[in-house]
Amino acid sequence: MAAEAESESAASRRLAGLVEALTTAGGAQLDPRGMRELKRLCRAEPAQVGRAHRLLMAQLAAGHAEVRLAAFRALEQLFARSHAFRALVAAELPELLALAAGSEPRRPLPPPAAAARQLRAAARRALPDWSLLYGPALPQLAHACRFLALRKKVDFADASARTPAERGREQERRERLDGLRQEGARRAEREMEGAAGEMQAVLTELESCFRLLVPHPLDPAAEEQPCCSAHLPASQGPPPPPPPEEEDGAAFLQSCGLGSRHYALCLDIPTDVKLQENEDNTAIINSLMDAQKLIRNKFLPSVQSWIQLFTRAGISDNRLRKAIDLKNKLEAALEKQKEMNIDYKEKRRKVMKASDDSSDNEEFVEVPAKEGYEPHIPDHLRKEYGLEPVSPPNALGIKTAEEGEPQQNEEELDPTCAAATWKIVQDKLPRVQPTDTRNSEFVTSGEQNNKREEEKSKAPFVPFGLDLAYWGEEQPVAGKIFKVASQHRFWTPNEMEEEVENKDIAGMLKSRCITFAGKFEPVQHKCRAPMPNGGLCERQDRVKCPFHGKIIPRDELGNPVNQEDRDREAKEQFEKKEKQPEWQDPEFMREVETATGLDLGSSRYSGKGGKSKGKRKKYPNLTDLKQQADTAHSRLGKKVFDKTAMKRVAKAMNRIDQRKHEKFANQFNYALN
Amino acid sequence: MLGFISARQAGLDDPLRLRRAESTRRVLSLELSKDKDVERIHGSGITTLDIEPVEGRYMLSGGSDGVIVLYDLENCSGKPCYTCKAVGSVGRRHPDVHKFSVETVQWYPHDTGMFTSSSFDKTLKIWDTNTLQPADEFNFEGTVYSHHMSPIATKHCLIAVGTKSPKVQLCDLKSGSCSHILQGHKQEILAVSWSPRYEYILATASADSRVKLWDVRRASACLITLDQHNMEKSKASSEAAYTAHHGRVNGLCFTSDGLHLLTIGTDDRMRLWNSSNGENTLVNYGKVCNESRKGLKFAVSCGCSPEFVFVPYSNTIAIYTIYSGDLITMLRGHYSSVDCCVFQPHFQELYSSGKDGNILVWVPCLREPEPDDSSEKGLNPAYEDAWSSSDSEG
Repeated sequence: MAAEAESESAASRRLAGLVEALTTAGGAQLDPRGMRELKRLCRAEPAQVGRAHRLLMAQLAAGHAEVRLAAFRALEQLFARSHAFRALVAAELPELLALAAGSEPRRPLPPPAAAARQLRAAARRALPDWSLLYGPALPQLAHACRFLALRKKVDFADASARTPAERGREQERRERLDGLRQEGARRAEREMEGAAGEMQAVLTELESCFRLLVPHPLDPAAEEQPCCSAHLPASQGPPPPPPPEEEDGAAFLQSCGLGSRHYALCLDIPTDVKLQENEDNTAIINSLMDAQKLIRNKFLPSVQSWIQLFTRAGISDNRLRKAIDLKNKLEAALEKQKEMNIDYKEKRRKVMKASDDSSDNEEFVEVPAKEGYEPHIPDHLRKEYGLEPVSPPNALGIKTAEEGEPQQNEEELDPTCAAATWKIVQDKLPRVQPTDTRNSEFVTSGEQNNKREEEKSKAPFVPFGLDLAYWGEEQPVAGKIFKVASQHRFWTPNEMEEEVENKDIAGMLKSRCITFAGKFEPVQHKCRAPMPNGGLCERQDRVKCPFHGKIIPRDELGNPVNQEDRDREAKEQFEKKEKQPEWQDPEFMREVETATGLDLGSSRYSGKGGKSKGKRKKYPNLTDLKQQADTAHSRLGKKVFDKTAMKRVAKAMNRIDQRKHEKFANQFNYALN
Repeated sequence: MLGFISARQAGLDDPLRLRRAESTRRVLSLELSKDKDVERIHGSGITTLDIEPVEGRYMLSGGSDGVIVLYDLENCSGKPCYTCKAVGSVGRRHPDVHKFSVETVQWYPHDTGMFTSSSFDKTLKIWDTNTLQPADEFNFEGTVYSHHMSPIATKHCLIAVGTKSPKVQLCDLKSGSCSHILQGHKQEILAVSWSPRYEYILATASADSRVKLWDVRRASACLITLDQHNMEKSKASSEAAYTAHHGRVNGLCFTSDGLHLLTIGTDDRMRLWNSSNGENTLVNYGKVCNESRKGLKFAVSCGCSPEFVFVPYSNTIAIYTIYSGDLITMLRGHYSSVDCCVFQPHFQELYSSGKDGNILVWVPCLREPEPDDSSEKGLNPAYEDAWSSSDSEG
């Protein structure tokens, strides 16, 4: 008796384990071996059927759609086998439908969504089959089917077994899109009607331009043109038939001045036209170019978009044909133009533009020329005058020296004249220097100049500052502070004012602080200390690696080059080994521990070991629901709704509120709260 | 069973005794019928059912789309498997169909030639069963939640109508007009019921959580207002005085002998009242889940001992013993909330309907289908196990 109970409990334990393993295995299919085992267990003992049903229903209520799906598949298989199981299932059919088909709107199927969809489809597919097969024995199945089919209006023929609500939404969406497309097509039609005339005009213009540029061979207008070939019809066509009579033939030959009648005249008509722009056709080519630009940049894209809109809206009547026609015409025109190989010069066009501009100049108001001769134009005004700035200083020097001098006196007197200001500027500059340079320039202009240029390029560029403003000047007041001994209004002491000289301030006016940071030099060396994985440390720190200490020169194998470094490293290694003997290798010790069951303290050496063991997932094959929630939104949410962050924000908000109160603290109603 | 029969044969027992024992046994073994089914006409939820009391053969059902269907429940085919045919129906195409949900249908208690129906379209219609044409129509100002005709009345022909207005209206079929108005409730009347014992006693239940008993002969009409605390606690709080429940009272049913009254309310309670003095008998039925905002129709058994009550309990039907309040069983089979259940006393069958649009038949299932009946089993693979023969396959 006891043994029987024992075996029974063992079987039920086995069943429970089997069901859990089957349902939590994940994957698209059930494990066939496990399923066979489950069926064998249920078949062997009818009591196990009820237990299996209970277990499967419990798994079907799990908050994971994959578990539910697997449970439902197992249930389906058992349902096909056992009548007792069928009866049990049928008794709880509403619950099953709620769990597997999501028939209760208040209890939606759990995530992940893909598995939930599969589960719903499977349940809705299975039910009619069951009803068909086992309907006579289990009336509940027919009721369930009726409920699903008519109350929920589920169409079982529909592969995805969607509810009408879903279908309606889909339909609505499609209708809305259709409406939008129709609207777009209508708009395109309107646009097309508006623009078609313009396009046609441009096309006609292009066509006539082509006509003008390249006379069509069959065009009567072209034939009228004076051309020598026009008078020689024989040379254009095939050789004329030989004259029937000998004399006539000879006469013909004679009259034509040909030695023989067996000439084959080949005319090479160049198919690739090449046009040269010249004065005659400039205007035509210009308009051609404009038209081409218009077509390429404006018309073609818009026609393209119209065609797209029409095709999207499913319109295939005249409108689309018209748009396609337009597009073809435009493309043909472009193609034609390309074939013509018009050789126009960009430069000429530019000049033409300039000449165009010159015509605009007529609109400008005539300004009377400035009276009086301006012999000396200051540098900063030269640009304004439309002259090139005088870059070589010596040229300026020469000029001023040679011809500027005589007139200067005269002009300088007039303060409105530019020359006067220039004079002031010159006066302000130390007088001696320019003459010096000028003299020296006169003497050794070449070398000196070069040297100066060199120095100039070397000299640092410094922004203007206070020190430059007072360069070389003695400031009498600078750095002096008026010291008033008494603050009283009328009880002043005898000595009126006392000036105290502050050296610092005076110095500040004359000196400037220039920080010299030097130039950044990227680090060339690497740490190259040997690492446990066999590689070398790739860190490029300047002085010290955060992992391997001070960077020392090492060879390719990572061994220090210097002897003392080598010694130091050996010593360190030895000390480390002292701390953890070789036989206490954590891996090895863990193995020994698992074998013997004794704690040798392997976790001491690797803190990670124990932790990862505890964190291992229970069902590794199932989709991790928590991990799926790891989206940008959730990550942000974690940060934003973090407890400490919330606290911080609340504190800041409180502080702002408090400050408001402080501001109005003198008003009693704010002061109180 | 055999003992009862022999005692009956010997004349030792009261003839009622055997009948009671057998019907009790049958009620206790109620189960979803495998053979009997009801033809499906309704396309939406079914709010109300009624079986005619004369023969117990015809059943009316009213749907939430206004359709009324008349079923023949009797199995004349001679086979165990039977689908109750719809004899007639007032479909959506019918010119006089109710526009909105039919809330109550009731047979004329003395004859199957007439029935009444009331609906949310604010009308009460009197129908001729044979032609399925309305013989009369009463219009009201508010939606009609419930109506009831006295099952035993011989001296009057009144229909009590509970509408959205707090006044109970009594329509006289003899004159075809509203003869009485009973005032006293403060909110809509969700359920009305005539006493099966005294023809002038009427009980009404309202959303103001009060249940009133009226004597329609009296000028000041209201006889008793039921009080759940039997006037003890309610002295302290005038708010709760004379309330039968804490929420809306939406179901009302006299026991078959008319001595007691059962009420259910949205406070998830069912109470049993002594209908003669309005005393709360304080029978504890536990939680009776009830989320309906409309009237709820429940049924009591007849001719059993003890008597049972069949109450819709959200998606299931709960069976309690009336006087002790024990939960006997829960009948599962509906897929959404059950609105109505009716009991057929002659065969101890229960019919239930709900928002899922199914009419389920619960029949006594006294014994399992015989296992040795090989011919039937051979015909029907639905009863067979289908374990595969090879051991490796399972």
